[in-house]
Amino acid sequence: MLDLQTGGTEPVVRLLNVTKRIGNRTIIDNLTFDVPPGEVFGFLGPNGSGKTTTIRMMVGLMRMTSGEILIRGRSIRTEYEAAVRQVGAIVENPEMYKYLTGYQNLLHYARMIPGIPRKRIDEVVELVGLTARIHDKVKTYSLGMRQRLGVAQAILHRPALLILDEPTNGLDPAGIRELRDYLRHLAKHEGTTVFVSSHLLSEMELMCDRVAIIQAGKLIDVRLIHGGAENGGKAEVLFEVDRPDAAAEALGGAVLRAESGGIVVSAGREEAADINARLVAAGVRVYGIRTVTKSLEDQFLEVTGGGRIG
Amino acid sequence: MKIYRRIRTWIMLAIMLIIPLGISLGAMALEADPDMWFFSYLEAEVVLSLITIFAVIIAADSVAGEFSTGTIKLLLIRPWSRSKILLSKYVSLLLFMLFFTVSLLLFTLLVNGVLFGSNGEYTYPNQGSRSYIVYLLSYYGLNLIQIIVTVTMAFMISTVFRSSALAIGLSIFLLLGGNMMAALLSLLDKPWVDYVLFMNYGLSTYVSGGTPIPDRPFGFSLAVLAGYYVIFIALSWYVFRRRDVAA
Repeated sequence: MLDLQTGGTEPVVRLLNVTKRIGNRTIIDNLTFDVPPGEVFGFLGPNGSGKTTTIRMMVGLMRMTSGEILIRGRSIRTEYEAAVRQVGAIVENPEMYKYLTGYQNLLHYARMIPGIPRKRIDEVVELVGLTARIHDKVKTYSLGMRQRLGVAQAILHRPALLILDEPTNGLDPAGIRELRDYLRHLAKHEGTTVFVSSHLLSEMELMCDRVAIIQAGKLIDVRLIHGGAENGGKAEVLFEVDRPDAAAEALGGAVLRAESGGIVVSAGREEAADINARLVAAGVRVYGIRTVTKSLEDQFLEVTGGGRIG
Repeated sequence: MKIYRRIRTWIMLAIMLIIPLGISLGAMALEADPDMWFFSYLEAEVVLSLITIFAVIIAADSVAGEFSTGTIKLLLIRPWSRSKILLSKYVSLLLFMLFFTVSLLLFTLLVNGVLFGSNGEYTYPNQGSRSYIVYLLSYYGLNLIQIIVTVTMAFMISTVFRSSALAIGLSIFLLLGGNMMAALLSLLDKPWVDYVLFMNYGLSTYVSGGTPIPDRPFGFSLAVLAGYYVIFIALSWYVFRRRDVAA
């Protein structure tokens, strides 16, 4: 299922029939999907599914055997410099020059792109919270600090697209939270599109608007995290009640299923309130109302068949 | 920036300057009538081979080191073509070499000039009508050509192998072993031997009227070196452009 909703603007990234073969093994097989602008887009897959390879092809670290990758309409193959100019990336752990200070590292990268004033470097350092240690050599940095420096070098040139491969590696919960908030801020308020690949499904659930799932080099699905809009505003709602059978009767059969301790109906927000009123009127005691969503983890494992490698 | 911020670069510079200083100071004590030109030449001889080794180390580390440490990943995700990146590394390497070489020249002339001065009696072998400085500069120039070829070879090894340790080791091995190989090969009386790179080292002998290979004109050696140079550059560029950065 290809999600072709782009909200009226051009997708920031388009992968078109991207294939990568090494020897006679097809690592990535005809991968095609679009990344709409201004979202946090997740990229999920079991180990060995080809996530990192895909990301490396997107930034030009690896060549694709066939296919096309367009970043805002510019081809990575034929217009590399123009395409990559709009991208900031962290691929796995951001390796910095250990014998240079954080500041010198940033200076080095800033020099490679025309038009980045020193002020911007200071701004970015402030943003990632490294002002206190920026003039120390990177070899003295902790992993969290290096990760933050990595984010700094990625956003120096205000890219339209931020690509992150496992960015939460090595961060403590506070760090993860900070990163997540920062990425959502970037997407919402600066219109940056964020493309994240990760194993941490719980994190992805909190961070992403949409995810693509890949397995064995093939695209399995692209779906929205909060599927409310897709189902026309209805979701599965669980009512915790004392007598499920009485409740079902009261609703006259509009019940999806009955579980011990409650009943599940398909309803929108207003409908749910109405149902509650009817149950109470019928003498049923309602202890709780909540939406039942399949967690991303459940969806993921279901769709990828339990995560076998290869 | 990367070359100059490492402590090893400055240690190399220090070594490079202390040695000629040591030689000159020693000479002051021992020699009866030291001449600045003689010592400038001598020290150049000694230290230039040292500079070669230093430059080779830096060259070999320049690309392979980026792969070994993983910094290549961030370096390549920039709006620069791979050629441009490789070129900038190569140029900074050459500039570094130039910097060291010129420093050596100026330093030795300064130190020896101050300590000894010219006594007007010493002449370089086969100096003829050339002035001292022209002779010395020719010596430096010819050596420089040779060093550039060696350094380019190390640079090529650096791009081909992604391990910093391997690149440095192999380059030094070839540098030192090259001379040995040349000596051995000269015993063989085959024509193709003349085309081996190391046989054509020793361009600087031209200054005093010799040639690296006894029976071949100077231009021959120059041409052979040029040919190897082109191959080194072509290979470096080709490999670097096509490489998949997988790890």
